[in-house]
Amino acid sequence: MNAKQQLKEGVITNNPVLVQQIGLCATMAISTSLFNGIGMGLSVLIILTCCNVVISLIRKIIPEQVRLAIFVVVIAGFVTIVDLLLQAFVPALSESLGVFIPLIVVNCIIIGRAEAFSSKQSVAASFRDGVFQGLGYTVVLICMCLIRELLGSGTIGGGLFNGADSFLTLDGTGAGFQIFPDTYAAGAMILPVGGFLTLGFLMALLQYILRKSGEKKARKEKEGEE
Amino acid sequence: MSKLRDFLKPGATLLAVAVVAALVLGLVNMLTAGRIEAIALETTTEAMQAVLPADSYTDLEVEDDGEINSVYAASGGGWVVEVTESGSQGTITMMVGVDEDLTCTGISITDSSETAGLGAVASQASEKGEAFRAQFVGASGTVSVSKEGGEIDALSGATITSRAVCKGVTAALEYCANLG
Repeated sequence: MNAKQQLKEGVITNNPVLVQQIGLCATMAISTSLFNGIGMGLSVLIILTCCNVVISLIRKIIPEQVRLAIFVVVIAGFVTIVDLLLQAFVPALSESLGVFIPLIVVNCIIIGRAEAFSSKQSVAASFRDGVFQGLGYTVVLICMCLIRELLGSGTIGGGLFNGADSFLTLDGTGAGFQIFPDTYAAGAMILPVGGFLTLGFLMALLQYILRKSGEKKARKEKEGEE
Repeated sequence: MSKLRDFLKPGATLLAVAVVAALVLGLVNMLTAGRIEAIALETTTEAMQAVLPADSYTDLEVEDDGEINSVYAASGGGWVVEVTESGSQGTITMMVGVDEDLTCTGISITDSSETAGLGAVASQASEKGEAFRAQFVGASGTVSVSKEGGEIDALSGATITSRAVCKGVTAALEYCANLG
């Protein structure tokens, strides 16, 4: 397992959201402004990496029968820690993401990676897996936020920037850059239906790209043989 | 013998993991509890100042009726009422300022877990959020959304949240009316 391959898998070929299709609930719910997307993505990245490392460390002493229960304890522990830290140090983000931070406990990405990867692999590989899978999740969230926020409320960078004086606001209060007036925006894009539409198009796009590059590779191999 | 071992080992491991997790959580809680409490207190004071400015507030005793959490009498007259209503995702806690003529002087939402981007707008410091909350200034009697014949324009995509806030303001006004 080399790092480059893991990075490619996490972000593209085995992207947690677009290819494995796990952790969709929170993806739909919070991808409405850039501030939320980055905050949620990073929270998942940190929790996933910590859980992967700990589970990989104790993988040899975890009895088969209770492995899921142990995964859940470890995951719930880290989620609670991150939740408390956010409440204490980034209250704006904690308020904006609301119940979705505690809900990371039941986010299938984390238990999925624990079961499929970190309970079988070395600590270093699990650490990389956590970072790269988390990165893949964050990238998708950011894409979805950008699309939905632009179409749904006509802004870019909501929460992160304040359009009026193009100032960086890191407390989630900025209204973002108004690209077009929000009376022309399709409010449905902020609603769950917009989430499903955006996600569907992103999945289709990635499948298209993967197939194209697969065909190209196959053609090259064929040419090489002849 | 091996059967007993098979039975005990998973349990003991799970217990050990749970104990370690509990210890770490306790430690983090110890480190953050003070800060979280301070932030909550600051939000409360800020919220009270925003809805009804006064030099000081006196905490009045409240008969527990499930909605009204606490009532503060402002030193300059009027009251600030803390109300909790159930929204669409959880409970919404808000501060409602009420003057002596029993009209609402402003509201501020201190705690909610509404949907990000929709109901959450009600509590945000954004333009939309401010505009939504400003509608309640000067409201009296029974407050309701325009769909139900009231004067409050609900937040788009967040009718339940908007209704809950209306209900909270109505409850606060009613409670103050009984205070005299």
